[in-house]
Parts: sequence; C-alpha cells; structure tokens
Amino acid sequence: MLFMLKRLAVLLPVLWLLSVLVFGLSKWVDEDPVLRDITISAARSVDNDPAAYDRAYRQAAQRAGLDKPVFYLSFGSAAEPDTLSRIVRYEQRQVQLSLLRRFGNWPALQTYYNGVREIAYTRSDSVGIAALELLLRSDPARIEQKLAASPLPSPVQESWRALADRASPGLLLLPTLRWYGTDNQYHRWLTDVLSGELGISTLDRRPVEEKIWPALRWTALLNGIAIFLAYLISIPTGLYTAWYQGGRADRFFSLGFLLLFSLPAFWAATMLSSFLTTPAYGFDLFPTIGVGEVADGAGWWTYLTTRLHHLFLPVLCLTYPSLAFLTRQMREAARAEIGKDYVKTARMKGLGVHRVIWGHVFRNASFPIITLLASLLPALLAGSVLIEIIFNLPGMGRLLVDAARNSDWPVVMAITLLNGTLTVVGILLADLGYRLADPRVGKPTSAVANANPL
Amino acid sequence: MRWSRIRNSIRSTRGRRWALGYLKVLVIVAIFSSFLANDRPILASYAGEIRFPVFREIGEIFSGPRPYGDLPGRSWRKAETDWAVWPPVRYSAGELDFANNNYVSPFEEQKIETALERHWLGTDQLGRDTLAGLIRGCRIALLVGMVAMGIALLIGLLMGGLAGFFSNDGLRAHRHRAWSFAIGTVFGIIYLINNFLPYANGWSGWIKYPAAFIVFAGLLGLFQLLFGFPASFWPWWRKEISLPIDAIVLRIIELFNSFPTLILLIAVLPVIDSPTILTVMLVIGLIRWTGIARFVRAELLRIRQLPYIDAARISGFGQLRILFRHALPNALGPVVVALSFGVAGAILLEAYLSFLSIGLPEDQVSWGSLLQQSRAQPAAWWLAVFPGLAIFFTVLSLNVIGEAVR
Repeated sequence: MLFMLKRLAVLLPVLWLLSVLVFGLSKWVDEDPVLRDITISAARSVDNDPAAYDRAYRQAAQRAGLDKPVFYLSFGSAAEPDTLSRIVRYEQRQVQLSLLRRFGNWPALQTYYNGVREIAYTRSDSVGIAALELLLRSDPARIEQKLAASPLPSPVQESWRALADRASPGLLLLPTLRWYGTDNQYHRWLTDVLSGELGISTLDRRPVEEKIWPALRWTALLNGIAIFLAYLISIPTGLYTAWYQGGRADRFFSLGFLLLFSLPAFWAATMLSSFLTTPAYGFDLFPTIGVGEVADGAGWWTYLTTRLHHLFLPVLCLTYPSLAFLTRQMREAARAEIGKDYVKTARMKGLGVHRVIWGHVFRNASFPIITLLASLLPALLAGSVLIEIIFNLPGMGRLLVDAARNSDWPVVMAITLLNGTLTVVGILLADLGYRLADPRVGKPTSAVANANPL
Repeated sequence: MRWSRIRNSIRSTRGRRWALGYLKVLVIVAIFSSFLANDRPILASYAGEIRFPVFREIGEIFSGPRPYGDLPGRSWRKAETDWAVWPPVRYSAGELDFANNNYVSPFEEQKIETALERHWLGTDQLGRDTLAGLIRGCRIALLVGMVAMGIALLIGLLMGGLAGFFSNDGLRAHRHRAWSFAIGTVFGIIYLINNFLPYANGWSGWIKYPAAFIVFAGLLGLFQLLFGFPASFWPWWRKEISLPIDAIVLRIIELFNSFPTLILLIAVLPVIDSPTILTVMLVIGLIRWTGIARFVRAELLRIRQLPYIDAARISGFGQLRILFRHALPNALGPVVVALSFGVAGAILLEAYLSFLSIGLPEDQVSWGSLLQQSRAQPAAWWLAVFPGLAIFFTVLSLNVIGEAVR
C-alpha cells in the first residue's frame, strides 16, 4: 500500500504537469477564443456598430472567465500593468502588447489607445473609420503615417507624440513577479475538471462529458479486447517457442512475428477496409462503417453477431502489433530463464514440460511482459486513433482528431487529460503486477533500480 | 561491442544482407530522386545548346550559373528538343496530369504519347504519378527518420551520458556554487524570454542572440557574486555535495514515458499555423530520445567501472574529456540498436501523421499521404499497395538490422 502511494506521489505531478501543458498550449495558440461564443446577431454588428460589438464581446469573454489572469503567477517586466488580463479583445491586446514592447510606457500608451478607441466607437464618419484602423496598427511608422494623413482630433495626436517622446523601454528589463492568487483561469478550469465538469464543446455546444463517455466506451471495449487477446495468445506462444527454440515452429513464429511487427497497422487496416469491406474486389465480407445498429428487441445472439461482424477487423488490426511485440518479449524473457539451473532441476525431479513451463518459468519470465502493459496502453490508445478513423468507429481517437482539427479545446483538453490518466493507471497497474510477480520489489533494501531498468 | 562485430553480425545471414541492400537502394533513391522522377529531362539539346534542365531546382537554390536554362510557359515534355535524356519516370511528384486523372490504373490504357511516358504505377484523382510520389516520399521518409533520430541521438547521448558516467556521485560541487548556478540558470532563462528578448525585439539582425548569451552569462556571474560568494562564508554552504544527475535524468525519462505524447501530438500539431517538415522532425526527435538515453546510460554505468577510465582519470584528464573522448565512443555500439529501431519508429510516425494529414504541409507528397488517398477510392489498389509496401519493407529492414546487432 505504501509502495503504491509512493508511486502515486511520483505520478500525480506528471498529471498536473500534463494539465498545465495542455492548458498552456490552448492559451498559446494564436486564435481568438471568444469569437465562437459571440452570438450571430452581435457578430453582425461588427461593422455598423463597433461599440455594441465590443460590449457583446466583453460579455462573452466575461462569461468564459477570460478577463481573469491566466495562471497563479506570471513573470514579466515592470512595464506591464497588473491588469493586462482585463483587456479581453484579442487583437487589441496583441496590438497594445506590441506597442508596449516598443515604448515601455503603459500610462501614456493607455491615454493614446483609449483616446483612439473612444473616437472609433462613437463616431461613424471617416475619422471614426480611421480610428478603427488605428486600433489594429502596431507598427509605429504606419501609425504616424495614418495620423498624419487623417484628421484625428488633436488630443489623440498629442497623446501619440507624448507616447513616442516619453518612451521608457528600460522598464522592460526590470523583471517582475506577479502573484494573482486562485482567481485565475487555470485554477477555475482545474477545479471544474476535478469536480467532473469538463466544459462545453465549442463545436456543437454539447457538454464534453456527453461526447466523451460514449466514445470512451467504444475505445475501452476495442482496446480491452485487443489487450486481452494479445496477452492470451502471446504468453503461451512465447513460452512454448522459447522452450522448443530452434525448432521448426519456433522459426516459423519468429519470422512471422517479425513480419507482423514491422507491418504498419494503419496500412493493414487500410488494405483490409478496401479489400474486404467494399464490393470493389468482390469480397464484401464486412461492414465498412460504424459499430452496427442493433434493434431494441433483438436477442443476445443477434447483438453478439452484429457486434462481432463490425468489430472483427478493427480488433484484429489493433491486436496483431501488440501480439507480435508481446510474443517476442515473452520469448526473450523465457529463453533467459530456461537456461537456468532451477529449470534443469525441476525437469530432473520428474516434472512434466508443461508443469515446468507454467509453474516455474512463466512466473519468473513474466516480468518484462508486465512492464509492457504500462507502455502498451498508451501505444494502443494512440494506435486506435487511426483504426477508429479508418473503420469509422465512434471512439475517442476520432473524437480527438475531429476536435483538434476544429480547435475544440475543451474536448481536446479533456481527452488528453483522460489519456494521461489512463497512462498513469497503466503504469500503476504494471507496478502492482511487479509487486505480485516479485514480492521483493518495493521493499526498501531491494534493488528496484536493477529489476526495473525503466 | 566492436564495430567489426556489428558489421559481421549484420552481414551474417541472407535476410540481413537483403535488408542492408534494400536500405542502401533506398538511400540512393532518396539522394538521386530528382534524377529518377522529374518532369524535366536530365540532359537536353534545345535550340542548338546543351542544357541540364534537371538542375533547375538546385540551381534556383544556389542561384549560380544557369546551365539548366529556362523554358518559360511550356513544359519540357512538349518542347521541341533535338534530343533529350529523360529520367526513368517522366513526372515530378505532385505534378498534375489532366489527361490521365481520376485514378488511372497501371494496367489500364493511358493517354500518353510514347510508352516511356507511362504512369508505371498509376495515378491518383488529379493525375499525379504514384511512382514519382513514392520516389519523393522516399526522400521525405529518410530525411525525417535521420534528422529526427539525429536530434534524439544528440539529446539521448547527452542525457544518458551524463547520467551513466557521473551516476549519482560523480558530479561534485560546493553547495553554494551548485545552488547559485541552478537558480541562476532558471532565472536567466526566464529573464531572457520575458525581459531581454522583448526588449531586444526591435534590434536589427542577429546581434540580439550573442547579446542574449552575454546577458545570460552575466546573470550567472551575478548570482555567483550576490548569493554564492556571501554564502560561502557559512560552512554548511561550503560543503561539497554530489549532484544526483542519474536520478534526475531517470525522473525526466519517466516523465517523458508517462506522457501520452502521441495524443498530445495529434492534439497540438493541427493548430500550428504553418507546419513544416522541420517541425515534425523536431517534435519526433524531442519525444523519442528516451530510448537512446536509456541504452547509453546502461552502457556507461558499466564502462565507468572499467580500469581504462581510472587510468585516464589518473593521467589527469578532465571529466568531460574522459566522458566525450574515451567513454562515449565505446558506448555507441548498443546505440546502433536503439537508433535503428528509432529510425523505423520515426518513419512510421511520420507516415502515421501524414496519413492523418497532420503535421506536414498539404502539398508535401509522402508515403503516408499517398496511402491516405487510397481511402477516398478503395478501387485504386495501387495507391494502397505500393506506398504501404514501401513503408513495410523499410521498417522491416531497419528492424531486421536492429535485431541483428542486438
């Protein structure tokens, strides 16, 4: 128990780091996160009533909590204000940041920028339009050109000159650490996730849980069957080929599994789905799409055969790479054990081959194959992305790719975190398996470092 | 392991020799891909002068003399040359052939003028030649495999080398120095990113990078002076401690291994604005170094105990010199195993990503992107079979060789 807690203490920070990384990436991406949340009617007002659009934008941003600081703390320079996060308009913030990097004088910059904004939102004549353009200009030379060309009121002109004259870029060199406390976007998101609220998909406004759970069920089913089958077949095959090594069966299996191991699963899946699921070649044996519809009243036999019919090829394509890999590992491990004296002793005292293999060799040789569970789980989940896409299965991998292509960050973040959690669970299971296979592991005196070369 | 033994074991069976031969052919095809598939002749006599149209792409890069000559507005295929030496495949990867579009099979009748203009392996929907795509894909695959694993090798050798050679007791320093160095490094990096580089943003040219380096070094010195020097008057701070670099590296490896990197890659790569092949190579290298680091670490843990290292130490060589000149070169044998599997993995990963059309630019032809086109038209078997075979044989050969060295 203590051992598991220790492992958990190492692995939980990994999950935390993953959450920071995913959240950071979603913030780092160069796109306006509010744009999707604005209602269509508000979005229409962008040209004829910029002030109303600005209000709608701010409201949407506040609803999403985007006016809060991003993280608990920030490293920055003395030139930046504490309240940078309150500027929610995405392009305007980028422009102001860029100007700040040039001039380093925030108060003067605000006088200028607010003056321009005031004009842009209140006047609709040519001056207002010029001001609207100025709001998005970050190049000082272009700004000066624009100011010289258009008749903006003199306060704005003067505030620009003041900004240019009283530039203090030296402030940028002064490092400043700011602490924002728990009222920040990351904290809010993390507490939501931990309490089970994964947010709302920006793509179709459905709750993320509603999208993920059905998908997770299919992915878990697919990968569960694949792992089970792979272990079920690979353990005896590996043990017996190791025992009868050099024999005809061993050579056959070794070559076969080397070939299978090098055969890219997504190619095999593409070929199978082209040749066996379409009438193009006359072998329309399996359905192309989905997991199959089963009517409510149908019996278990219909249910089973329908599912089997639909899932046979995907499971096959998921199983064989891990099967090949596992068998080779099992064979290697068993071969090392079979050369040892205790096996000879067991044989000499009259135990049968099968008793020796299963009673003595298996347990000692199962070490690497247990470790592999930890690395197999994430590999399988990643592998099932393509299999799900190729066979059109409504699993998590397809959901992830669709979400990532449409920058549906709530879904992407939830799936990535879920995957991280599953990976960590896999590692923990492998550790537990170690413990069961070899009770010495985790004891203070044992050389875990030797037994677990990572 | 000795190099000669590695070489012998690679050449020991017929299968391994075939694998090696296949890889050699692949490298040659990758290097000379412009001469094998091109919509320009290698050598042509046009309007009375000899030209080398095939060098056009290279010539444009180096903008030297132009022996390749220009043919504005018309393709070389339609040009009236006196004579021309064509590449075996008379199409470039990605070149559209409208006469033969909409999935022309290799055995079908094709709308071509001479038999030498055949699309030997068929075309895709837009009439792009499959064989030309395969040849170009060969270059992409090997480039990704080698560069990505080169990056991984660099990181892996450094991390594994430090961890294995110094272990937990080899790297010793006085406590005040170690701490001020560590804090200075962290602070220096943050300072450069948050303060100095924004400040130097307006500076012209490359001068800001050496300046950044000087600032960083200055900060390290400053910390040494402000924190390390005063602290050195306390005996506790003056004590010599050993840096547990092995434990740290192992932790980092574990961290990388327990990250769902592939999922992260699929999640993040689509949002990168303009993906280039370099991004993909860099990302693959950054996530695939752990295997190499583990091999190097394990090997160096053994080597550091050997007498010749002690001898070098007694002779007064510096630690780093012993590590890089004496210890690491002997640890490279097992790295070949990791490298060979690693290149296979990187090629697979690139095919996987371009199959998902993630990562590589849209117009970049690669094995994975060819394979992906077959999904739109299952009847076009040539688009599924040939790129897949290319990936399969490459991965198989690399695995066979990795297996042989092991």
